[in-house]
Formats: sequence, structure tokens, C-alpha cells
Amino acid sequence: MTQTVFEARQVSKFFPGVKALAEVSLDLHTGSIHALLGENGAGKSPLIKIITGVYRPDEGELFLDGNPIALTGPRDAIANRIGVVHQERNLIGRFSVAENIHLERLGAFPLKPIDYAALNRMASQWLDELGLDIDPRTPVSRLSVAKMQMVEIAKALSLRSRVLLLDEPTASLTAHETDILFALLRKLRDTGASLLFVSHKLEEVQEICDRVTVLRDGRNACQSRSMEGLGRQDLVRMMIGRGEDAGRWTARDRTGNPVALQLSEVSTGLGHRNVNLAVHKGEIVGLYGLVGAGRTELAKCIMGKFPITGGQLRVGGTPVVIRSVADAIHRHGIGYLSEDRKQEGLVLMHSVLENAGITVWRQLARWLAALTDGTIRTKVAPFIEKLEVKTPSLDQTVGNLSGGNQQKISVAKWLAAGVDILIVDEPSVGIDIKTKAYLHDLLRQLSDDGTAILLITSDMPEMVALADRIVVLNDYRVEGELINSGQYDTMSHAIMDLIHRVEAA
Amino acid sequence: MSPGLSRIVRTDWFGPFVIALAAIAIVAAFNPSFLSPLNIQVLLLAISINALIAFSQMSIIAIGQMNLSVGAIGGLVAISFAGMMEVWGFPAPVAATLALALGLVCGLLNGLVIAWTGISAFIITLASLSLYKGINLGITQAQPFYGVLDAVKAFGQTNVLGPIPWLAVPTAIVALLLWYMFNRLPVGRFILAVGGNQHAAELSGISVGFTVTVAHAISGLLAGLAGILLVARLQIGQPTIGDDWLILSFAAPVIGGAVLAGGHVSIPATLLGVVIVAIITQALVLFNIDPYLVQVVLGFLILGAVGLNRFREARLERPAGRI
Amino acid sequence: MALPDSPASPATRQAKRPMARYFLTNEFGLAALIVLFAVLFGVTAQGFLSPFNLFALGRTASINIMIGLAMMVVIVTGGLNLALGAIGVCAAIFCGFLIQDAGLAWPLAIVLALALGAALGSINGWITVRSGLHSFIITLATMSIFFGAMIFLTRAQSYRGLPPELTSFGRIKIVEIVSPLLVVTVVVALLLAYLYRLTALGREMLAAGAKAEAAELSGVRVGRVFIICHMLSGAIAAVAALMLTARNGAAIPSMAGQLGQDWLLPAFLAPVLGGTLLTGGRVSVLGTCLGAFLVTMLTSGLLLMQIGEFWIQSFLGLLLLAAVLIDKSRRMLLDRSKLS
Repeated sequence: MTQTVFEARQVSKFFPGVKALAEVSLDLHTGSIHALLGENGAGKSPLIKIITGVYRPDEGELFLDGNPIALTGPRDAIANRIGVVHQERNLIGRFSVAENIHLERLGAFPLKPIDYAALNRMASQWLDELGLDIDPRTPVSRLSVAKMQMVEIAKALSLRSRVLLLDEPTASLTAHETDILFALLRKLRDTGASLLFVSHKLEEVQEICDRVTVLRDGRNACQSRSMEGLGRQDLVRMMIGRGEDAGRWTARDRTGNPVALQLSEVSTGLGHRNVNLAVHKGEIVGLYGLVGAGRTELAKCIMGKFPITGGQLRVGGTPVVIRSVADAIHRHGIGYLSEDRKQEGLVLMHSVLENAGITVWRQLARWLAALTDGTIRTKVAPFIEKLEVKTPSLDQTVGNLSGGNQQKISVAKWLAAGVDILIVDEPSVGIDIKTKAYLHDLLRQLSDDGTAILLITSDMPEMVALADRIVVLNDYRVEGELINSGQYDTMSHAIMDLIHRVEAA
Repeated sequence: MSPGLSRIVRTDWFGPFVIALAAIAIVAAFNPSFLSPLNIQVLLLAISINALIAFSQMSIIAIGQMNLSVGAIGGLVAISFAGMMEVWGFPAPVAATLALALGLVCGLLNGLVIAWTGISAFIITLASLSLYKGINLGITQAQPFYGVLDAVKAFGQTNVLGPIPWLAVPTAIVALLLWYMFNRLPVGRFILAVGGNQHAAELSGISVGFTVTVAHAISGLLAGLAGILLVARLQIGQPTIGDDWLILSFAAPVIGGAVLAGGHVSIPATLLGVVIVAIITQALVLFNIDPYLVQVVLGFLILGAVGLNRFREARLERPAGRI
Repeated sequence: MALPDSPASPATRQAKRPMARYFLTNEFGLAALIVLFAVLFGVTAQGFLSPFNLFALGRTASINIMIGLAMMVVIVTGGLNLALGAIGVCAAIFCGFLIQDAGLAWPLAIVLALALGAALGSINGWITVRSGLHSFIITLATMSIFFGAMIFLTRAQSYRGLPPELTSFGRIKIVEIVSPLLVVTVVVALLLAYLYRLTALGREMLAAGAKAEAAELSGVRVGRVFIICHMLSGAIAAVAALMLTARNGAAIPSMAGQLGQDWLLPAFLAPVLGGTLLTGGRVSVLGTCLGAFLVTMLTSGLLLMQIGEFWIQSFLGLLLLAAVLIDKSRRMLLDRSKLS
């Protein structure tokens, strides 16, 4: 019989200016795989952090076996047998598989010599149980990403976790590896484990999960209900609050315009081979691919961050060699809106003014010539206003603003720079739905005004809602090109067919 | 290549080992007196002390930090050791034990402050370097202690077997113990785990603060031991002991392939790093080259070694799967 | 090797109440401490406020400030320059050599010495940028190389035959108590303040130091900017060493201790006291100046109070420790007042 192992009841979490979670509930049963769904920014991440003890809820309670618990930290969660397999690897690369699995247990006796033979034996048992053919003596850094993930699962199991949280476990796995992982998860479920499966791949969720919780805008769109009777469209409706319509998308054909950016048979130092791609003036070209397909990498090669080793790159019809990102921006008018806002997009510790102005400093003043805040303000303030950035002043530290406003500033700096070609990488990561819709309108409008946009996103609805044409990238090669019809179902099938055609072959 | 041989080639000490052998061969070819028992003894004396200095820094490199106060601790322990014998008339073993305890405490203080405040080891050990050195000078008024007991002097001058000096014995024991700690004892593995991936180590129940403190305590203890051995070798308690250890302490671990980001150190390779430095220093003396060039050579060795290590790291770490 | 020291939440500068914010700034705290200790020493230490002592104080402070600024301009990048002492001594000795042995006119010699400092600094920068390694280990190695090469080439010789124009520069007094060296320092500090506040290059230095990846993808040539920072550090270190030479009346290889290590403590004390973030991206020229001044004044006052000269070093170590601890609690206080 199934029973409730873990429950979060009416949990809320506040951040300065934001209510990240509002009275969210969730309960996990034994022998069940529970899906946690939600768009970026819907509150999945704070909820995961509450369950794993990283955050403490500001309101609401957690229950384990019906008893209220207060998790004091990640360690405490583990002690309460709540295991996690994080997106980022939490293994020590130079240590062996066996040692990584058992690191937890060595802590009790710092001066007791380690019996590696026994460690390897115990590790073998867990690996065997999971059907993994890994030598426990192998250093973890030699394993593939998928195997590392399996080792993390083995580690979590060896701690006798009853609740196992898997955060986007398939993000970097191939289809075959995913199948193996799913077989493993089913096996665990059948032995009575309670799994929380966090993913945004609906196909996978439908394949493996039996219950589901959907979050939207920090609230429950549905709370721990059975997957039975739920179709894909139902899930989507709960996630985004409407069906998967194409928004205000209208068919446009801009291929008659002059080509702004063209890649012919381009190979790169990062491993792209024979990439052909053209973005016309006023056109949005989507670049779709799974994680690891080489999309962001291609963008960075175009920007001159990594070398292009073969083929030809043309900007506005002229063959160019871009040696540095500064050249790409200042000489060729190409901008790159990074997917990683916190590391690559913005300088969080600096002010709005500094961040929005960084691309125009060089235009406004050479080297040691005086460049006052006032000059920069005159240049960037109109864009900050146009984008309706909510900030007390331009001197506000960007790190204090919400994700949506941060993203608007990232966009503002490219508008200020006046680039002709804009590469947009995962524009709606970590921003609210409203800003997302606003950004979509803005990107369409920008392209209508003549900017050539190369859009990278793994959010399929976003891709279908924005792109004029879609280029599919897989394993650092272009698999094909599609004209966007605006129909989500047909487009997503067509894209997936292009990707899987290769894997099937 | 046979599998056994290829395994040896891939170990971290193989590269330094080949370089050391080559250096010995080259220097000996030009100057046969290099391999004379007397010269080997001189070489071993230098290696014994420098190895401890290197191990002291290596223990901190293992957790991905640095310890600028290695020399200051060594100097303070050295003058305390000599001072306790001269001023208070303590017998050598008592003085040595107390002085070692002082080294341990100095390191412990570094570790506790770093673990407690979370401020970078660089700044904390820069401050404690100044603190310890100032105490050293305040006590000695920059004058050496001459009252080193004869037993200590004898220990620093005589050989245990053939050209092997007594001073090499403590170093050898320390090397074995360290190897055992870093390879077999949980506490040593914790140090490497924290250095390799602090976040993961923390999630696995390792107390980072405790581990950092232990590493610094070990570092202080080893620096102190080096100071004591140097007193035995120099026959006086010089307040300047430790002033020139900083470069030395980093050179050997780095030449031995230690990853400055932490998580990987090798005792045999560090030891070989010390040997290489000693051979080059000695060779410069033998060939009557200005000893000041040693500094230049050491600098280039460090640059070359970090460059090489980085190259190897880049090849070892696949782009995926690392943060 | 990481030098993470960012207890700072960047938010702290935008606390709501402007008055409270002003009183919690580092600069205000330092200024208050300077006044406090000036009064304290003025009352207790015989001769602290005598014109001669004030003159000597200003002269020493000007050199310490310069050393602090030399480190500060690299700390901006999130790196450091352990070789600044070695670079400074190399430049000073080179200047002495040019005047005494090569017979060059002293202004030309000074220019060339500054150029040498800048060149050695840019070597540091170039290696750091190209290798991608932390500047700690790079400058540790070059410190040894620069200093060793200098000693080897000069046979550890001092240059005492400097022209009176140069040496008198360290001795003359403007209005009783002001040394011309202090004027040089003020000018350099003002130039640096101009650089960081009012030029594209200075802004790029701060952006690149705060987040190199983001700066690069926004069109900043991060490598070039970092090299310029190191070059600047070398040049300022050379200025500091030349000022010290003018004060001592001779260029002496041991003027900054073994390998130039004696400069490290003042070099870090000033920026750390002054609130420059060790992780880069935030700088306070005024804070560095005040920090170095405070350190110099405390040293001078304690010496006048007959605290043994050797204990001063311990005291400075404790001061650095206290400074980082106070800074940490100050930031925690600011964070808390902001959240509530």
C-alpha cells in the first residue's frame, strides 16, 4: 500500500521584493515517481532548496512520516534520508567511485585507517544492484556524465534515502542513457522508494511519472494529483496558464532581405563541423538543440571568443575574421545576450548604469578621455525607460533587482550599443511570465525594425512563438532547417524527428 | 609499452623523477665530485630541511589555500627552541617538544581564524606572518641565540649511515606519515576532498572548518620541525631563519605537480621537487656560478612547472562534467 | 588558487538612510581613527606634533600610500602583485645605475626607471593573462626572478652618487611640514581617482575585475585591461621606490628587504583597510590613502612612545587582522540594517 512519506504543507518563501513561493504544498508517496513541473521562475528551484534543507521556509511546514521536521541544512536533510541528485555534480573528481559513495561514512572516525578493499566491496554491491558496470576503483573524473549521475544515485541510495530528488537528471544524457536511467528509477520505485522527478521534458514526465505537482508563479497550479487522465496539453495549460498557442506569432518571410550573418561550412575550435546558417536582416532564426548540442558554443565562436577554424563567416555580406569579442561588438555590430546572466551577462556587484553602459563606453570616450556618469546616463537612460526596468535609480546595484529586471538591463545594453545582429541565448531563464511575454514582443519588434536575431532556446514553445525559421543543431552539426509554421505540435515533432533521425541511424 | 611500465609513466612522480635523474647525470658528467660522499651529504642536509618546508606548504595547497607564514612560524619555533636551551636551560628534548607545540599552536591559530571568519587564507597568513615575525624580533632583538646544546649540534652534524645525515631521519619519518595520512586516513582524504570540491565535501558530511584547521595545524607543526632541524644544522638560533622560505615552500610542491586549486598533492613528487631544487642550487655552487642566480632559476622553475601542470590539468579534465 | 574574500554583499552601498550610510563608510571610519589617534599621540607622545615629526610622518606616509596604491591597482582585477617590492627595487637600482655609471641626466634616468617598472609589471600581466593562472603564483615566481637578476647584475651594489637635485627632493620642506614627496603622492592619487571615476579604461578595469566573463562578452578586452593594470602597478611601485631613494639619498638593493618582501605588508594593509575588495571590482583610492596614512601614523606614534621597534611588525600584523575582522562585522551590520 502506498503511504505518504514526505509532505510540504502551505510553504512560502520570500526574497527581497519577491514572493518566490506562496503557500505551496506537495506530498510524496512510497513506491511512486512524482513529477515536479513548472516553467523557469515558477518556483521549482526554491521548493527544491526547501526540500533539501538549503532554505528554510518562511511560512508553512514540512512533515516526514507525518511528523513535522525543521531541516537545518543539507546535511540535516541527508540525515533525514532525503537524498538529492543535483544538476551540478557533487562528486570529488580525483577520488574513486567507491570512496565517493562512502565519503559520508568516513566522517565518524578521522583517524581510523580506510580499508579500501572493504570500501570497494561495498561499493560493488550498490553498483551491482543498480546494474552498473563500473569498477569501483575508477576515479570519478574518468566517467561519462551519465555514469557520474548513476554514481550519485548509488551514493544517495547507500545513505538509505527514502526520498530521492532528481533535479533535471536527463539534461545531459543521450536517449539511450536516459532509457537506462529510467529502468533504474522504475526498479527503485518498485522497491518502495519515493522519487521526486524534476524536469521540463514533458515526454519524459509522461513516460515515467505517476503523480504530478505543477507550479506556476510560485503557486500550486495542481497539487500532487495522479497523472492519470492528464494529457500533454493539460500539463502545459497548468504550467503556463494557457494552451500552447503561438501567441501573437504571425508568419513572416524575411529571406528576401539582405543577409546579415552568414556561416558557410564553418568549423570551430570547439568541434562544430560544416555549419551552414544564415540570418537575414529583420529575421529571427531559431537555433534549437538539446543541452550539449553546441548552440551556446557556436554563438561564442561567432562572437570571436573561440576560434573559427574553417569555412567562412560573413557579416553583412563581407567575409570577416573576428578575433575578439570586442571586435565582434564594436567593429561588426554583433551582440550576445548570454544564457548565464549572473556569470556572463551582468556584473551583479555594479550599478544599473555601469551595466547598461558597458557596451557604449568605448563609443563615448577613448581611453583616458573624461567620461562622466552624466554622459553615460544620457545615452542609456532612454533604453532603461523604454524597457520599463523597475529600479529605484540608475545607481542601484543590479544584484538587488529581480531576474526579469536584470534581463531587461541585459537587453538594454545591447539596444544602447545599437547592434545590427543580436544573438539571444535562453532569454527567459529565471524571469517571470509577464517579463517573458514582454521580451517576446520586444524581440519580434526589434526584428521588425531590422535587427537580425539568432535565438537560442531549449524552451520549445518559446522557439515556436518567436522564430521565423528554425535550424536544428545536434552534436555540433546542423541537422536541418525548418520554416516555422507556428503550430506547436507539428513543429516540435518535426524538430524532434530531425534530432532523433541521427540517433536512430 | 607494457601495462606495468605505462602505469609508472602515468604516475605523478614519474616526470620529476626523470628530471631529477637527468639533472644528476648532467651535473655529475661535468663535475664528478658532485657524487662524492661529502657532496651527497651536503645535498641530503639541504633536502631534509627543505622537504619539511615544502610539506608544510603542501598540506595547505592540498585544501586549495596558501600559507605565507610558513617561514615566520619556522623562525619563531627555531629561536624559541634555541632560546629555551640558552635562557631557561631546558634540556634539548623538552625544548624541542615545547617548540614544536608552539609551531602547532601557530598553525592552529591560522586555521581557526580562517575557518571561523571565512576570510581568505592569504590575508590571514600575511597578518600572522607579520605577527609571528615581530614576536621573533621582539624576543631576540634581532640577535641570535648561541647557546645551542652540544647534543643538538651533534645531531645536526653527524651521519647515521654512510653519507646519510641524522637530520634526514625525522624528514623520512614525516614523509611516510604524511603519505599514510593523505592516502589511508580519513582526515587526509578530507583535506583532499575539501580541496577538490568543497561543496561536495560539505554535503558528504565533512566539516570544512575542522579540516581547514587540521591542515593548518599540520602545516605549522612541519614548519616548526624544519626550524628546529635548521637550528641543529646551523648550530645557532638565527632570528632570520625562515625569511627566505616562501619561494622555496611553493617551488617544490609546484614542481612536483601539486594543483594549486587544491585536491591533489603527491608526497614523492614533492620530495623529488625538493631534490631537483637542491641539485640545481648545488650545481650552481659547484660551477662557481653566482648563488644569487638560484633565485632566478627558482622563479623560472616555478613558472615552468605551473605552466606544465596547467597544460596537464587541461588535458585531464574533460570539458563536460566540471563546474 | 582562489583568494576568495567577499563577505561583502554588494548591496551594502545603497543602504537607505544616507547619514547612517555615510558614517558606516570605511573612509569615514578611517578619518575618525586618524583624528582620534592624532589627538591621543599629540597628548601622550612627546614631540608627535612637532613640525619635524609631522614632516617625517608625511614623507613616510607618502611612500606607504604609493606602495598601497601599487597593490590596489592590481587588486582591482581580483589579482595581486607580490613582485611589487622587487620591481620597485629594480627600478630604483636601474635609476642609480643610469645616473652613476651610465652618466645620464637624472630626469631621463627617472623616466627610464619608471619605464622599467612598467615593463616588468606588464611582464607579470602578460604571463598571468596568457597562462590563465592566478597572479599569486606568477608574481611569486617573477619576484624571485626580478630580484635575483637585479642582484646578480649589480653584484648587490648600492648607488650612492645621486645628484643633489634628487636627494634634496626628499629633504626640502614646503611650508615647514609638507614634503614634496607628499605632493607627488597626492597627484598620483588624484590621477588614479580620475582614472576609475571618469574614464572608459578605469570603468573597464572595474568591470573586468568584478566579472571577467561578463565584461569580455560585453566588449571589454579583458586581457589587455589586466595587462595595463599590472603595468600600472609596476610603474607606481617604481615611483614608490624612487621616492624612497630620494629620501634615503641612495638606491640600496635591500631597501625593501629580501626579494622586496618587506613591502608586502604595507602594500596589503592600505587597500584592505581602505575597503578595496580583494576579489576585485571595487576600489577606493581615498580609502587606500587614508589606510596607509593611519598605518604610518600608528607606527610613528608607537615608536615615539618607546614601543620597541621590533614589536611594531607584530602590531601591524594584528592591525591587519583587526581590520579584516572589523570590516567583516561592519558589512554584516550593513546587511542586517538593509534587510530589516
